[in-house]
Amino acid sequence: MKHVRLLGLALVLAALLFSASAGVAQERGITPTEIVIGSTVPLSGPASYWGLGVGGGIDAYLKSINDAGGINGRKFRTVLLDDSYLPARAAVNVRELVERHNVFAIVGMIGTANAFASRGYILESKTLWITPTTNDIWAGLRDRKYLFVTYPSYHNEGRILTEYAAKSLGTKSIAVFYQNDEYGLGLVRGVKYGVAQAKGIKFAGQASYEVTDADVSAQAVKLRATGADTVFIAATPTQGALIVREMGKLGWRPRLLATFTLGDPVMFRLAGEAWNDIYIGAYFPIPGTDPKLDEMLATLIKYNAALRNSPYNALAGVSFVEPLVEAIRRAGPNLTKDGVVAALESLRNWDGAVARSVTFGKDRRQGLNRIFIVKAENGKYVKVTDWISYQTQF
Amino acid sequence: MVDLAQFVVGGLATGTLYGLVALGIVLLYRSSRVLNFAHGDLAALGAFIAFTMLVQLGWPFLTSVAVSLGATAAAGALFYFVVLRPVKEATLLGRIVVTLGLALVLSGAITLLWGADTKVFPFPLSELRGYRLGGVFVSHLRLGLSAAGLALMGALYLLVQRTRVGLAMRAVSQDLVAAQALGIPARRIFALTWGLAGALGAAAGILTAPVTLLTPFMMLDPFLKGFAAAVLGGMDSMPGAVLGGWLLGMAESLFAGYVSVKFKTTLAFVIIILMLMVRPEGLLGREFHRRV
Amino acid sequence: MELRQRYEEDLFLVRGAAAWLATAALLAALAFFPFYTPRYLLFPAILVAINAVVAVGLNVLTGLTGQISLGHAGFVGIGAYAATLLAARLGAPWWLAWPAAGLIAAGFGVLIGVPALRLTGPYLTIATLGFGIAVHQVLTNWEALSGGRMGLEVPRVTFGPAALTSDQRLYYLAVAIAAVLTWAAANLARSHVGRAFVALRDSDIAAEVMGVNLTRYKVLAFAISAFYAGIGGALFAQALRHLEPQSFDLIQSIYYFSMIVLGGLGTVPGAVLGAAVLTVLPGFLSGFRQWLPIIFGVAIILIMVVEPRGLYGRWQRIRRYFKTWPL
Repeated sequence: MKHVRLLGLALVLAALLFSASAGVAQERGITPTEIVIGSTVPLSGPASYWGLGVGGGIDAYLKSINDAGGINGRKFRTVLLDDSYLPARAAVNVRELVERHNVFAIVGMIGTANAFASRGYILESKTLWITPTTNDIWAGLRDRKYLFVTYPSYHNEGRILTEYAAKSLGTKSIAVFYQNDEYGLGLVRGVKYGVAQAKGIKFAGQASYEVTDADVSAQAVKLRATGADTVFIAATPTQGALIVREMGKLGWRPRLLATFTLGDPVMFRLAGEAWNDIYIGAYFPIPGTDPKLDEMLATLIKYNAALRNSPYNALAGVSFVEPLVEAIRRAGPNLTKDGVVAALESLRNWDGAVARSVTFGKDRRQGLNRIFIVKAENGKYVKVTDWISYQTQF
Repeated sequence: MVDLAQFVVGGLATGTLYGLVALGIVLLYRSSRVLNFAHGDLAALGAFIAFTMLVQLGWPFLTSVAVSLGATAAAGALFYFVVLRPVKEATLLGRIVVTLGLALVLSGAITLLWGADTKVFPFPLSELRGYRLGGVFVSHLRLGLSAAGLALMGALYLLVQRTRVGLAMRAVSQDLVAAQALGIPARRIFALTWGLAGALGAAAGILTAPVTLLTPFMMLDPFLKGFAAAVLGGMDSMPGAVLGGWLLGMAESLFAGYVSVKFKTTLAFVIIILMLMVRPEGLLGREFHRRV
Repeated sequence: MELRQRYEEDLFLVRGAAAWLATAALLAALAFFPFYTPRYLLFPAILVAINAVVAVGLNVLTGLTGQISLGHAGFVGIGAYAATLLAARLGAPWWLAWPAAGLIAAGFGVLIGVPALRLTGPYLTIATLGFGIAVHQVLTNWEALSGGRMGLEVPRVTFGPAALTSDQRLYYLAVAIAAVLTWAAANLARSHVGRAFVALRDSDIAAEVMGVNLTRYKVLAFAISAFYAGIGGALFAQALRHLEPQSFDLIQSIYYFSMIVLGGLGTVPGAVLGAAVLTVLPGFLSGFRQWLPIIFGVAIILIMVVEPRGLYGRWQRIRRYFKTWPL
């Protein structure tokens, strides 16, 4: 049976190609001289903007720590694998990260589908998993001792922005323009919940788009037909800019709210003058308003000039890994996984250069439970509220 | 009523674009029976080259466009010479897979050279200012794009139908061996066809980028729609490609406006499949005559 | 060189003592694979087996019968969601749900096969492409059925000794299913059905004149390849543990298509080889980050330029060279 032969031959060859002996370590991923951090992000394909930015930011940040001498004599080694935003590839990558590269922790992961595909394995292997950027899918999960998330909750962001609009901006009816995936749907649910919580505001309608859609004019017409006075944009930069431009073409300018991914300064370039007077969520300070953050951004760009084109994503990447680095510092020279877990649990309202007010605890794995609101004004983002908290769920 | 007119106008504008993409696909299919899956990425390449000239080198608009068309045409011809021609017993499907490989290489190269972030493509006409005719808004940009698209289609028509080169191209696509027997340099004609298809793609890319914002994958959806439009109109008919594009653009726009935005791509394909049931060779395609 | 003296000898899949020994050795290698290779290779191996099933099925349609299908991910998706829904909503055990999913997918294959009778070449390509896209959009938007973009949780299949990890158990199941289905496809190719398919590919009008029922065999080809895709989908759902429509889009269809062409169109070993290479290669290259698509694309182009008959075609040439040596 030639086919079976070939299957076997192919597998044997693959095995030979991949065989690599692991170094002896005190604990997986920790040696006296290095700590191995791994990540699987989209570095190719339509989602590569996120992966290159977040992954590049993590890589540059850890390199800058190495150059400053590392932590307690250990330097970081980053392993970035490309999953092209495909869940099957993410599942392959996490196994490779844990067993071939022997990572101490897996940081980030973009895409709820990817997280679902990898979740079972990572939890089984008891590898530290830091901030996969997903929807709220962790609440019902048992056995999350090694999972630590510092990422805003889409659901709560939608609710908070909606309530703010109802209370402070005089919104009476709201419609949502959203990306048709877990990210957009999570925000829609949040807005609907916010409508239910706030009084005197109604949900006028919704219009969705697919990531590959280039033309959103029909959605703009549909949104206008709902008669809403406010539109919540639950989109990513490209379509966020497109919808605002389409609205301008229709001569229709409702009040606009947007999710934190549109807090990317690139929006001013993409949407031009139309990107004005918009209220957006945020979870770390705006570049240009905070010296520590600006210094971090300059450092990142120094290590990787390409990050100049995606500063927001690079900073986000740093915000994910900063708590881990701080915990490694606190855990001291005798580094163990449980020691790092304890150190993470000891963080109370901790501020890094980018990550702000991170809090974990014995039973608390949701490190971030507040956001604040900014407003796009004259080409800049301006803070308009203080931190607004929401309930932690896990 | 105003909305209907808006949808129709929008659909026609998009349809012109689909038609332009479809023309590039049909051109290649007619001459070499190759379905070029890299057409979308060639279009994106053209747009990015033009972007570099316009923004980073600061060259004037028409010069940049001309250079970009030329460069993409050269890329197409190069691909033909380096990859397609040397392959001796290539099967049709094999050649399709080769174009898939090219698509991967191009999209990877574009992401590597220009980055994955979204950029604004500067176009001398504005998207936000335009004419308002009875409640229907047509932006300067869309008008200009449609006009440019139509002009290109017209120029292509003249080239193929009224010049000797066009005559040679038609001869080669009808019967390769006979054309060669008559002394037509088939290899040069193929290279020219690929170059022309590349230039058409670059034009489509440059005309798409101002509207959709410039990203490495911006042509994925327009390419698919253009392919569908080409089939709708008949894979060996250039007027068919244009007609297919308009019909597809309008049907999509009307469906998205009145029925459902979510299923608009499905609808496009359903229409096409239904059309193919009725007339398997497309609207304006030639009837099949197959010999056993 | 082995001379065949009787027709029956030509039909053997494995011939001669040496071949039997080699086959047995490699079956053993497959069986013990989880124990002598690094653990992280197990999951890619499972994916290879799944893609081999789909590729072998697609080969029946495109390689043997000459019907180009660029919407095969649609059948895989139907199989995956059908199996999951049967198991999750109706509580069917896997050994019922998965074959049922395959049959449901086969039903859709018949649904596509009938209209496809009138179409050839790029027109058939577009029709199948449209089918694939339609399935993807329906799965994305019909939330009551598929959970939409929030996806479906796949109930875990439990079987086999508890001493094995779940990855290992799935590996054995996947490889066993892949081996059985591949063996079936190889036999199909050698049977009268297979010969009818090939006749249709080479010249369908002539084949019909000679008595090959065009309708029956074309629809059968669609149904069989859809069945394989459905089983592959059910396995895939089990491997990923959570289904999302984005795993069944046009890019996936193009992947499956490339697998059979790269591996060797029309040959069962070629389909398996193509599946293996295209599944493993991106993972192998993932360290190259942004260069991955470029290297991958160049690899595809090189393979097709150097050997239009695909990887298995090159292997056959090498074997023939040695068989006829020193001529």
